[in-house]
Amino acid sequence: MVYLQLPKLKRERLIVLTGKEAVLISISSLIVAFIIFSGFLMLEGATPTEAYGHIFTFAFDPKLGLSTTLHRGFFILFSTLAFIVPMSAGLWNIGMEGQFYLGTIGAFAVAYSLPNLDPALLIPLMITSGALFGAGYGALAGFLRGKLNVNEVVATLMLNNIAFWLVYLLTVGGPWAGIAESTSRPLPASARAPIIWNTTFTSFLAIGIAILLYIFLKYSSLGYQIRVLGNSSVAAKHIGISAPKITILVMSIGGAIAGAAGYHMWAGDPAFYMIPRPEAYKAIGDLTYWGILIGLVCLLNSLAAIPFTVFIGSILVGSTVLVRRLRLPFGLDVLFLGVISLTFVAFQFFHNYRIRRIRRE
Amino acid sequence: MWPFIIRSLEVATILLLAAIGELLTQRSGIINVGIEGLMLLGAASGFLAALIWGIVPGYVVGMIMGALFGLLHAVLSITLRVNQVVSGMGIWLFAMGFVTYWADRYSGPLPPGVVSLRIYGLSPLFFIGIAAVFIIWFILSKTHLGLKIRSTGENPFAAEVSGVKVIRIRYACTIIGGALSGLAGAFLSLTYLGTWSHLPTKGLGWIAFALVMFSLWRPQILLGGAILFGFVWQFAISPESVYAGIPAPLPILRMLPFIVTIVLLVIISSERFRRKWWLAKPEALGVPYIKE
Repeated sequence: MVYLQLPKLKRERLIVLTGKEAVLISISSLIVAFIIFSGFLMLEGATPTEAYGHIFTFAFDPKLGLSTTLHRGFFILFSTLAFIVPMSAGLWNIGMEGQFYLGTIGAFAVAYSLPNLDPALLIPLMITSGALFGAGYGALAGFLRGKLNVNEVVATLMLNNIAFWLVYLLTVGGPWAGIAESTSRPLPASARAPIIWNTTFTSFLAIGIAILLYIFLKYSSLGYQIRVLGNSSVAAKHIGISAPKITILVMSIGGAIAGAAGYHMWAGDPAFYMIPRPEAYKAIGDLTYWGILIGLVCLLNSLAAIPFTVFIGSILVGSTVLVRRLRLPFGLDVLFLGVISLTFVAFQFFHNYRIRRIRRE
Repeated sequence: MWPFIIRSLEVATILLLAAIGELLTQRSGIINVGIEGLMLLGAASGFLAALIWGIVPGYVVGMIMGALFGLLHAVLSITLRVNQVVSGMGIWLFAMGFVTYWADRYSGPLPPGVVSLRIYGLSPLFFIGIAAVFIIWFILSKTHLGLKIRSTGENPFAAEVSGVKVIRIRYACTIIGGALSGLAGAFLSLTYLGTWSHLPTKGLGWIAFALVMFSLWRPQILLGGAILFGFVWQFAISPESVYAGIPAPLPILRMLPFIVTIVLLVIISSERFRRKWWLAKPEALGVPYIKE
């Protein structure tokens, strides 16, 4: 007699996940995302291989998409880092969007009030001011969480919506309103970010912050305290770490990084040099949520986040050709990112488990 | 004034449906932060279905869509044991992309033939929402099934030992919660707005999520909270219908619901309040259940 033997699968809990395994997991999740999205492409009558070819040749062509790819990618890197620091202490910073808006306000306030300042002075001032505004907003969320025990996911999200309307208040018919409808006045020429190697210098600032954070979280004593709190609040209490203090600190650091992105975003891309219409700045604000997924996929490793964010940037920029060059329907580009977010999430399973086949006796 | 009250109660209906579903989900121990996404999916699918089949099928399709993605959240967070916050966020991000791709090309108002049923201006769904609150309150606090759901949320291990099918109950509650969020979304696009515009939820789903916390996981309080927030939200959108000479500019008013949310959160999170009232918070909320 022949029995049809189905393999019996068993899930095994992983204790540690090595970096190599994490990379493999994320690559497989991307492959699955590409396969799923191919279905949508075929549904719209496009050839997937051709479409993917267009996406990446456009995104990495120095004459076409490369500078925007890097710009958006490093923007997402800012928000990834802004997520990683609080998450290392076990806190969900969903508030990068609001902190980025506040950073925008901080940076633009400086530029509008001191337009004639020398760029060598004005630009650092704008970044610092943006970072301070973002840090303040992050600290507010940290205070709500650390001192008043408010759930940080809800608190930061509410703050995001408030910040959205704050920018709206200033730009649409407000004191910063430009000549064009519902955008802000353009930034003074002295505030524009210098371009190095196809990208704004702030991209290198983002890389610098990523390296610093890696060292800070891994080797400094404060970084150690943050990680202890993230792993076990009970252990942290026993060795005398003040949870409210660390909470406010990490949220401020996160907020400062997200706030600095307020300068990077609008002053680093010649297409802007101002705050655009509300729908447009909201669409950029929504990108910050990618920081959450990338931070988790990279196991909170700020260096590993760099290639990831550039890759997501390339998809973001490259998939716009689907609409413009291949005349596929609008929204297909954002759908691609949506599909990737779902497969990233589903493959989080493999961060904790491994599937093993067991032989029948 | 009457139209303002009607509109406010419509917002309340959206919040009520989404929040009572989330309350049920959370009482079983699963947290779903993706309500905003489920609402978007329900709103888009309901709108597209209504273009073809009319208003009631629109609601039904929205509900089915919500249930499907509730199921997805259940698979991810219960079976695959992905962190529940991550899973909800992922569904939300997917929904933003998918809905833009799917429904934005049909942007615009519903055709004139597709009209919501109204009784004295009020949609029957308002009453269905209130009924849902009472049904869920009754099930949770008065029935054997409710006891099982609550025990699943408090201590799944103890529940399993006493014969409760933890996984099955969590699946059911998450799917029902998703369906109600989907219905809330369909109601938003079909009855409250009557049109499709880019990402129409504008943070309402997150308010519904926060409402579950304010309600201290109690359906009766949730009903009051939803109506209160319905009025706050509608006032922020059209203050002139209450009082013409309000000096504050529109963006400041639009912040109001979110500011009120934070203030209420601070109050209910205070030590005194927590000790006295947070008893209904499910002990195992957000913790994956791992049967050994």
